[in-house]
Amino acid sequence: MNGWILAAVVVLAAGVGATLWGVVTGPLRRRAAAQNLSTALACPALLLLAQGYARPAYVDLALVLAVLGPVGTLVFARLLADELADDPPHARGPTLTAAALGAAVVLAVSLATGPGRALVKVLVVGALLVGGNLVASRALAGGMQEARRD
Amino acid sequence: MTEALIVTALLLVAGSATAAVAVRDPVRQSLVLAVLGVVLAVLFTVLQAPDVALSQLAVGSALTPLLLLLTVRKVRRRGQRAAGGGGGSDGRRGGGSGP
Amino acid sequence: MPSRRTLLAAAEVAAWWVPLAALWLVLVNTVDLLEAAVGAGASVVVALVARGARRAVTGR
Repeated sequence: MNGWILAAVVVLAAGVGATLWGVVTGPLRRRAAAQNLSTALACPALLLLAQGYARPAYVDLALVLAVLGPVGTLVFARLLADELADDPPHARGPTLTAAALGAAVVLAVSLATGPGRALVKVLVVGALLVGGNLVASRALAGGMQEARRD
Repeated sequence: MTEALIVTALLLVAGSATAAVAVRDPVRQSLVLAVLGVVLAVLFTVLQAPDVALSQLAVGSALTPLLLLLTVRKVRRRGQRAAGGGGGSDGRRGGGSGP
Repeated sequence: MPSRRTLLAAAEVAAWWVPLAALWLVLVNTVDLLEAAVGAGASVVVALVARGARRAVTGR
């Protein structure tokens, strides 16, 4: 129908599909990292869908996911700290790739939105998405143990 | 294009749901369940039900894994206590401590 | 006359309240008087919670 929907299909099929494969196979640290990345990739897809359907209210979905996705990852980082302490998941490359994709999608959507309150909303979603993703992956990679040692 | 989107979301849901059944370890199952919650929310959005998707996101992305992991942790602690302290109140024996 | 600690606490709650109320006004769909009033009230509650969380984290 339009390019936004096509981009959403690509992000869902390639990005979320790859994280689904990562969360099903491999050691526990790869699964935890893939779960973190799945929320970080589904949030840009929801933003693209909101733009593709031309319904600004759908941005709320991306906002909720940008808030709750890192919360879920922090739950795993806290409750799986003992299992993950031996070999913490360092997924620097994929995390930075997902963050860059999120930033690019937010930039494109905000350019298409134009100035106004909707633009500020999209930018808030983008800041929560990128910042929360980086914080959550850092906590997954061992920040939780450092905090517990104090 | 919309059909391709719906088919993609349906395939993702089918794959993650099958994986959630096939994975046996509860800890790894909770990771797959978190992904399943997010993918289900995307499917609801694609089917033009954003209100359902909102509640699915709220429940599925953080709450369900939290409940599962807390349950697993409690069960494991009880098992360790039963194995170390010579059985619980119901007379169950932990593995390895019996004669 | 309120003490210095009370003034500091009030200033901190106000400092939390301003960005929270601004965030509410950005995120709501339509800006009218009712939304602004509800947002101001909710921001007061969340500002108090934020001050409590900050004190719990820093331990003071």
